[in-house]
Order: sequence, then structure tokens, then C-alpha cells
Amino acid sequence: MTHSLKARLDSVFKDIETEAGRDGRLTVIATAESVVPVLRFLKEAGHDYLQLVSCVDWIDRGEIEIVYVLSSYLRTGGEAEDDPAEIVLKTRLPRSAPSLPTSIHVFPAAEPYEREMHELYGVRFEGHPRLTPLFLEREYEIPPFRKDFDTRQYVKDLFGSVPPVGEKS
Amino acid sequence: MDRNQLVKWLQAPAKMAHKYSLHAVYFCTGCGIIEVPPTITARWDAERFGVIPTATPRHANLFLITGYVSLKTLRAIIRTYEQMPEPKFSVGFGSCPINGGMYYDSYNTIKHLDRYMPIDGYIAGCMPRPEAIFVAVTHLWTLIDKDMADGYKRYRRYYAQYRANQERVLGRLEWPPLFPAGGDA
Amino acid sequence: MRELELYFGPQHLGMVGNFSITLTVEGDRIVKAAANPGYLHRGFEKLMELRSWIQNFPMVCRMNVVEPDSMEMIYAMGVERLAGIEVPERAQFIRSIYLELARVGSHLFGLWAYANMLGFDTVSQWAMYHRDLILDLFEELTGGRVYHIYIWPGGVRRDFPEGFEDRLVTTLHSIGGHVPNYDAAFFHNPVFRQRAAGIGTVTREDALALGGTGQVLRATGMGYDIRKVDPYAAYGRVPWDVHTRQEGDAYSRIWVVRDEMIESVHMIFKLLDAMPKGDVYNRIPNPFKWHIPEGDAYVRCESSRGELGLYIVSDGGDKPYRAHVRTPSYPHGMTILEKVLVGEDIADVGNIMISLYVVAPEIDR
Repeated sequence: MTHSLKARLDSVFKDIETEAGRDGRLTVIATAESVVPVLRFLKEAGHDYLQLVSCVDWIDRGEIEIVYVLSSYLRTGGEAEDDPAEIVLKTRLPRSAPSLPTSIHVFPAAEPYEREMHELYGVRFEGHPRLTPLFLEREYEIPPFRKDFDTRQYVKDLFGSVPPVGEKS
Repeated sequence: MDRNQLVKWLQAPAKMAHKYSLHAVYFCTGCGIIEVPPTITARWDAERFGVIPTATPRHANLFLITGYVSLKTLRAIIRTYEQMPEPKFSVGFGSCPINGGMYYDSYNTIKHLDRYMPIDGYIAGCMPRPEAIFVAVTHLWTLIDKDMADGYKRYRRYYAQYRANQERVLGRLEWPPLFPAGGDA
Repeated sequence: MRELELYFGPQHLGMVGNFSITLTVEGDRIVKAAANPGYLHRGFEKLMELRSWIQNFPMVCRMNVVEPDSMEMIYAMGVERLAGIEVPERAQFIRSIYLELARVGSHLFGLWAYANMLGFDTVSQWAMYHRDLILDLFEELTGGRVYHIYIWPGGVRRDFPEGFEDRLVTTLHSIGGHVPNYDAAFFHNPVFRQRAAGIGTVTREDALALGGTGQVLRATGMGYDIRKVDPYAAYGRVPWDVHTRQEGDAYSRIWVVRDEMIESVHMIFKLLDAMPKGDVYNRIPNPFKWHIPEGDAYVRCESSRGELGLYIVSDGGDKPYRAHVRTPSYPHGMTILEKVLVGEDIADVGNIMISLYVVAPEIDR
């Protein structure tokens, strides 16, 4: 009898928590160091489709959470423990200096997502070859998607201070 | 052609030629790109109004700024506008160039386009229908007739103020001033 | 030969949408390509955090201007998954018909762009005209030509008007009657084959490794379609096929688009036949005081470009805490485009970009 994916994960990695939820989802909570090994394990187990690398700013807890959503191109349909429709891998980083090893050697698709998270949230991905600006045209003091960046105040300060053009009265 | 038009053609042939052949720069700047292809294709034919898209701003005299303008786009728009030969007319399309529109609180879009480059008219809507674009073109004709479509003249006159506003929002500009003397005011 | 850095910038006749690519070229061949997005960045996801759950519905459709309906669908799916709202049967069927109609409209827009790029102006005019007929139907159903805001959490906003189904069927038949003309003028044209075959080939390994979905993956022979893998709305209730091709170049991608358009039209007819009567929406709580329980969800659907996903997080409040939209053009327009352009001609950049079906606002959000 083969062990289910959840059981295998639990036995190989000691510092993660797994939970099989409804809607066929398997949630894995990992530490920053075990993210890349878990991703490699999951890819070799057949979940080779990285759909999304996202980031949530939990300002009240002082943490930034990086979320990886994985799936499998050739899923046959089974229980969440063994053949989940999606795997959501989360890790928490301290908000003052969020840094994580890059996962582009496991999933090359992660390259633009990590660049975007670096630019918009200020998360460093160690080993990423191209953490250059992607969308933004300038540097902001606080990365713009963080919760303490007040976009309405910024708009009022910058764009509200531009005078209309015309005859000076 | 009725006699009214004939008189106008004889009196001011250049102005009539400008009006009836507004060649628009092909630059899809924002959301509004979705209503421009229906306007220039067979169903709502813009060519019967004289409006066709051109590939380069050097051959164009109408600039349709379709939708919101982000900071990177503003750089590109100003350079494109400055490359167009005079007389040139610019029309703001949608509610975003008027006052920021739906993205009024976005840190990356500018709110009032006419503080950075002159606009001759606006088309309200989100997105405006192709018929609204045609009504706007006929209004632009009336303005050109009455010499009120003078955006390019305002740019020349108040260039120092426009450039100051552009620098305030974009930081250092990589291109030299278009009118080195700084305009008149 | 000297290398030159060229900006295939936003103001270019070959660029549909405000996007820029920095090319390093040697003569006519591209040596390196770097995508340069950001011209359309609005900070959409930050703006979504400042508006309440119901206020986000008119906002969300503006993320992909060519096919706004799949954006509404994905946001409604996310909100319904978090809040535990059920959608009635008839609304599921109406949603599927609505999305398939949007898919046909979006493919016709893509056909306009692609045929225009290659120089087949007649076909592009036909495509835009037929898309306008579909926009007339949308206007009758929802009140707006492009931004419809028809999908509501819990169903759809209103039922089909009187006689709408007949007009829908008549319009689709009239468009379908032109397929032989399209074939003769474009799809079976040897000039199209010469311009597109072997250009912009994406191998299956590349597509799988770099996150390609939609036509990019189906043109390499893999029949991956979210409507079959993870059925949502009424896609599991009617029989339909996924179309694939083998070569992975621009020619096969456009052929997959054509086959999908025809399949969508047939699917609409089958859905109309199978549609039950009933309510079209379930009531939601008062939208002004709507707090959604804590949790997070990842939902996905198949837009006309590939897999569209939404990762939505709620902290129990009346606004989304975080909403991250995973758009199909993100991997296609950045990693896959940069890989595929190496070794191609400058003259084919627009060709490849439009055949990869990249829509610039989706990348920047």
C-alpha cells in the first residue's frame, strides 16, 4: 500500500504542518528553510505546475506570508490527502527583513512572480538573478503593496500638489 | 459639396484640410484600446470622418489618449506628443484623463492629464461608444473652425509651466526642453 | 556583426496594448529579449483592498479589457467560495452561455489583431464586424458594450429578456455561416501558412516548465483545459471536446483558436437546449454590511487566454484583505515570450506576441 502524499510529507519533513481540507486542497505550512526542499519533493511527486507565488502582509502580526499554489497537469482525481486538486504552501517571514531562497531552480516559472514580490513587498529572494524593477517606475520609501503604504495620502501629496497650467493670476 | 463648404474651402484651405484628415497616432495607452478597433473598422467606419491610424507620430495630427495614464506611459506620451508636427490636436478619451476616473486613488496613474500636456477636448464615458467618438470628432471640427482648438499653441506659450509639472511628477526628464527659451510665460 | 539594443516600444503598429520589449539584435536576428511591462500598472490589487466586496465588482472587469467577463466570474467564484454562497442551476447555465459568448468575442478580437498584423485586412474587418454583432447582444442583455458587470455573487443580475434566445441563435448562425469565407481567405491560405508555420515555436517542455496554459499548451498537444479538469458553472453538463494541435508554433495556436471558437458556438446551442427554468440568483446579505468569514481560497477558470486564477484572503472584514489575480498573460508575456523570441526575426515580433495571445493589462494589473 502506498502512503498518501500527506503521510509521506509528514514523514520526510519534520518542521512542517499539513492539513487536508475540503474542496480537495492540501495546505502545508513550512519554515523558510524547508520551502525549497518541500517544493522539490512535491515536484518529484508529480505536482509540477506552479500556478502562483503570492504574498500577504499580516501587519498586525508583524509577518509577511509567502504563498505558493501548486497543482498537477496530469491529475486523475482523488482525495485531498493523496491527490489534491491544489497544494497551498505557506511560510511566514518577519516583516522587518523578509528573505527567502529562490525557487527558480525547481520551478523556472517562479521568476517573474518573485521579481514582482520583491518590488511590491520588499521580499528578498536569495539567488534570484534578476531582482530589477518590473512594473514600477521609481523607488518608493515603503514598498507600495504593504499595508502601511497609504496610497490615498501619497496621491494627495504628489498629484494634488501639481498646479493647473494657465495664466498666472 | 454645398456652397457653404465651398466658400470655407476657398477662404481657409489649410484649415479645412486639417479638419477632414485627422490622422491619429496608433498608440493604445489604456483601457480605451477596446473601443478603438471597432471605430476604425467596417462597422463604425472612422475613415468617412477622415480619421485613420498612422504608424508614426511624425505623420499624425490627432492624439487620442484612450484611458488612464500611468507614470511610465506619461513619459512615452509626452515624447510622442512632442514629436508630432504642428498643428496637432489631442483628445482625452474616457473619464480617467479628466480627473483620475476609477483609479483616483492609485499611486501609479496621473489624475489630471491637462496639467502635463494640453488637451483640446474630452469624451466622457467608461468606455465611450464609437458614436461618442464621432460626435467628438465633429465637435473638434467646430473648434478648429473657430480657432479654439489651440492646444499646441498653449503648449508653446506655457511650456515652462508644463515642463515644471512634468518634472515634478516624473523626476528628471531624459529629453531636452522642446522650446528652449521656455515659452512666453 | 554588431549588437544593437532596440526598443520595441509601446507606440508601435505591431503592439496591441501598451507593452514594451527591449530587444538586443544582431542584424535582423534577435539575440536577447527582455519584456518591459508596467505601462498599465494601476496597483489593482491594492485598490481592491480599499473597496468593499460588492464595490469591487465594477472594478475587477477592467483588468482584462478584451474579455472582462472571465474576470467577473473569477471574482464571483472566489467570493462565493469564501462566503459559502450557492448558485442556482439556471444561473450556472446562464453564466456558461455568457462566458462562451465572451470567449467567441475575445477570439474574434484576437483574430482582428493577428490578421491585421499579418496584413490580411479583409479578414480582420470581418472579425471585428462579427464581434460587434456579439457586443450588440451583450448590450441587450446587460446594458453595456464592453464592461458588463452581469455576474453577481450568488448568480447573475437578471434573466434573459424576452426573445433573447432567438436573437442569440440567429446571430450565432449568421456568424457561423461565414466560417467557409474565413477559411478560404485566411485559415487555408498558403500565405498564412508561410508567415506563421515554424514561427514562435513553444515546445511542450518549455510550456510546462514556464507555466503556459491555454492555447500555448494546447497547441503542443496537451489537452489541458480547466473547464474539463476542474469543471465550474455548467461545463460538466454538456458534452464538448478540447481541441489540440501538435506543432506548437504560431500556425497551430491560431488553428486552435479557430477550432475553439466553433466549439464554443456549438456549446452555446447545447447549453440553451439543456438550460432549466428557475431563479437566477440567490440573495446575498446586505452588501453595505457584508462581512465574509475568515479564510483564503484559490479559484480558477479558463479564460480565452488560459488559466485565470484568483487567490483571495479575507480577515473577516468588509473588504478583501488580499486579492491576487493570476492572469494567463503573465507567464506567456514574460518568460515564454523572452524564451521564444531568441533567434527570430524582428519582423516577426508582433506576429509571435499576438499569437501567444498576450493582453498587456493582464500582465501589469
